[in-house]
Amino acid sequence: MKHSLKKIIVGLACLGAVVLAPVGATMTGNEVMQQVYTRPNGNNMSANLIMTLTNNRGSTRERSIVQFRQDDGATEKKLMFFTAPADVRDTSFLNFSYSDGRSDDQWIYLPALKRVKRIASDNTGDSFMGSDFTYDDMGERHPSEDRHTVLRQETIDGWDVLVVESIPVDPKETYTRTVSWIVDGEWIGLKKEFYTADGKLGKTLGIDAFEKIDDIWVITDMTMANVQKNTSTRIQMKDVSFNNELADSFFSERQMRIGPRT
Amino acid sequence: MDLIARIAKEPLLIVLFILGVSILLISSIAQNASLETDLDEYMPATHPAFVFSDQAEEMFSIKDSVLIAIEHPDTIFNAGTLEKIKTITEDLPGLFPEVYAEGITSLYTADNITGTDGDLEVEPFYEEIPRTAEELLALQRRVESNEMVFGRNVSLDSKATLILAEIDPDADAADLHVRLEAYAASFEGPETLYIAGRPIVEGAMAELGPADMTRMVPIVMVVMIILLLLLLRSIRDTVINLVIVLFGTIVPFGAMAVLGVPIYAVDTMIPVMLIAIGVAYGIHMHNSIHHSVQTNPGISKQQLVKEVLTAMIRPVSMAAITTAIGFMALMTSQVLPVRYFGLFASVGVMTEMVLALILFPASIYLFGPPKIAPKRLTDGGGNKSGNVSRKDGAWGSAMMRRPLRVVAIAAIVVVLGILGTTNVWIDTSFLANFEKGSDIVITDNFVNTRFGGTSSLNVVLSADDPDTFKDPEVLKAMDTLQTDVETHTLVGTSFSIADFIKRMNKVMFDNDPAYDTIPDNQDLVAQYLLLYEFSGDPETLAKVVDYDYQNANITFQLKSDSSAVMSEVIDMVAVHEAAMTELGVTLRYAGSGYKAFVFSELLLEGQIISIALSFVIVALLLALLFKNLLIGIVGTIPIAITAVVNFGVMGLLNIPLSSATALISSIAVGIGVDYAIHLIEHYRNRRLEDVSIHDAAFETLAHTGRAIIYNAVAVMGGFAVLMFSVFPPNRQVGGLIVLNMATSAIGTLSILLVAIVALDRKGKFIRIKSTSGLKEKLS
Repeated sequence: MKHSLKKIIVGLACLGAVVLAPVGATMTGNEVMQQVYTRPNGNNMSANLIMTLTNNRGSTRERSIVQFRQDDGATEKKLMFFTAPADVRDTSFLNFSYSDGRSDDQWIYLPALKRVKRIASDNTGDSFMGSDFTYDDMGERHPSEDRHTVLRQETIDGWDVLVVESIPVDPKETYTRTVSWIVDGEWIGLKKEFYTADGKLGKTLGIDAFEKIDDIWVITDMTMANVQKNTSTRIQMKDVSFNNELADSFFSERQMRIGPRT
Repeated sequence: MDLIARIAKEPLLIVLFILGVSILLISSIAQNASLETDLDEYMPATHPAFVFSDQAEEMFSIKDSVLIAIEHPDTIFNAGTLEKIKTITEDLPGLFPEVYAEGITSLYTADNITGTDGDLEVEPFYEEIPRTAEELLALQRRVESNEMVFGRNVSLDSKATLILAEIDPDADAADLHVRLEAYAASFEGPETLYIAGRPIVEGAMAELGPADMTRMVPIVMVVMIILLLLLLRSIRDTVINLVIVLFGTIVPFGAMAVLGVPIYAVDTMIPVMLIAIGVAYGIHMHNSIHHSVQTNPGISKQQLVKEVLTAMIRPVSMAAITTAIGFMALMTSQVLPVRYFGLFASVGVMTEMVLALILFPASIYLFGPPKIAPKRLTDGGGNKSGNVSRKDGAWGSAMMRRPLRVVAIAAIVVVLGILGTTNVWIDTSFLANFEKGSDIVITDNFVNTRFGGTSSLNVVLSADDPDTFKDPEVLKAMDTLQTDVETHTLVGTSFSIADFIKRMNKVMFDNDPAYDTIPDNQDLVAQYLLLYEFSGDPETLAKVVDYDYQNANITFQLKSDSSAVMSEVIDMVAVHEAAMTELGVTLRYAGSGYKAFVFSELLLEGQIISIALSFVIVALLLALLFKNLLIGIVGTIPIAITAVVNFGVMGLLNIPLSSATALISSIAVGIGVDYAIHLIEHYRNRRLEDVSIHDAAFETLAHTGRAIIYNAVAVMGGFAVLMFSVFPPNRQVGGLIVLNMATSAIGTLSILLVAIVALDRKGKFIRIKSTSGLKEKLS
């Protein structure tokens, strides 16, 4: 009797553990990162962005951007218009990013020149608009580019967090190891550290604010700090709205010239 | 004097004391002495030019670079060479800790921004090594159409390419050139590799100069010992001289080690000075002892010491004090190592004086008065001119009978000297320190003929308002300035934000060369800059303009590291200052080349001031010493002649005035004043003994003149050795010392003597109670 009771208790405990345990506890690193990659982010979105770049001497440059994004599953289209500073107002930038792994297509419109130019560039590892973010950091890096391992579980600000280590498949990448803190079950990252080949911390991404808008997690304030160059870039998002379906023709050269009027 | 005599009575204690102190100081040198080779440590950190340059260097991350040039006999556009460029670019930061990982620029790192058929392409020139003929040709076309790379990273004949590696200024790069050369050698064939750039030249020089001095100084000493033995015919006095010079050198260096003052490159001149000066004290002491023994062969030890000290304390101490004060005048310099040089050289001089005054009497107590062979009884022994040797007699007669001729010759020499002096050019160049055929010079020449240049000058433009450097007017003014300064034959290329804007404008107009200009619309400039940030490397932009577009940096590549060239280029830049001021922009300069330029100007200015100052001090001291202002003025004649001839010969032989050669003129002061004091003192003493003007002059020549000539010959012979040095600046040092010793000696024995005799004849030299002067006048 004693024996079977013990068994039952153990069995219940096990069951309880399974029920109460966070979802991610049993997931592999790759599964976690796949969840993060596929976390719903709305098929379309518009927002006002403020990008603040700080150089190693503490000087800052602030840029205001109106951004429109639309994703049909195969192609993510982004159209951005600069609203400030004044001398670059109405400069626009169009980006098509393809889920099949093709290189992005990019166009730039310079209002002072009244010309649209297609930019031919293989830029995933490049700086995103001269900032400390790369295009990869802006959420376009596919999980299959790295091998992921869940290192441990932590609690940050009351969130249960999975600490995931990612090692790029291509050993020649600038950052040969990254560590991400992912909120279990919500699949949103709270911070990320990037390490260079010599084991040194290269840059850190900190998420300072995120909120659920129309049931979608949106990071509204994040800062990427390059520890080695002592520079940082802060991106704040305001007036985020989803599901205002835009015509396909909106993401066009013509619209680039017209400006952010829908 | 009593004190010295008393100390001298304990010769063994003196020897023990000297030995003890030497051991202590040498062990302190061995433990604590540090050689300072970092040139930044020489710079006066608080000088506004340096403060600003340091700020600008930080603002635009201006760093010295090592240049690795790869030359291929046909073209660098072949798979092998391109592979090597890639390998070196990728490996350098890992293999050389002093190289900045982000600071490497080569064809492999460079991004090519081009515009074709409405497209804007931003791509590295190559990532995978192109192998087919078409691919290689396409790459060559891309390079040739990009003026930001062609002529800068790739030579115009496409046979050479440059890899630039920024060096951490704080890194200890002492043997970097050796390690880099070994590394580069592994890539040779069919390519040839060249390593150049300021860190390389500085590194090689920091090693070569002092190493050569350490090799040469012992040879100088040996030659001098042989000469002293021959001249003095006394092992005892030669050894004493040696002890004076050696101990006199150990004390200042030991003091530096004890006080924790690092040894700077200029300090290698301290032993040179102290050898020349210390030998003089010893020879005068030797001369005086022999003079006394010859006059009074049976003289006792005590009497001899007393006589010698009576005769020599005043001139030797006065000579030492004036020389020391001359060195102390260097402490007015703004350059720290020069101040230390002045301080410790005077410490050495004073040590040598004390030693000379103690060791000679001590040697008399220890060994008794020297035995002098009768046949050497040629020194002016008696009171009559008949006792003077024939040589001295002939020289003396010439001086006495034809004073005007002496004055005329001196005048001609001075005029020639002044004419030569106007030819003296101020120049400090690291490269000039190396042989024409040396690897370092050949490499530098190679890079300079194929690329922009191995040296650089940064012109920093500042404005009060943000966005000034987006203003097309300002950018056009910068472009004009660059185009104008580039007309100087030794200015290769220049690089500024204006070049970026011109490049972007051309690219946006489909590579149409007509648009290689600054656009008129400021918004367009701003949009180009934004576009460049998007697509290019924002850090490249940070090297030419600051975040607020309030400060900009123009980099000029120069094909010479000579400060004279730097000065010419700065003059050309300064022409544009008025136009810039109108636009609200101020012009300043920065970079290590510029700092070296300001530094050399400061160094020279300081040395010229100190020479002028010591001139005045010497005149005043002599006037005080002899209580006669005229003697003070006349006494500076040998120094003046030596200095004028020194600079004159430098002008005529095209030896530039640099920090090393300018320091030599301090020897002119140090030695010249010694000679003058000894000559005047001896002459005055004879006159006070009631000797006639004529006899006093002849005796002075025989006695002091001999000491002066011995001193000059020994030092000249020693330093003539330096003229065979492998290090050209040390050759110049050797040659100029030989010259200065010769002019000092000849000047003192001719024009100074003539001047004193003339003064005396006019009754303006000395008030004497006797009537011998009057008698002579009457006869």
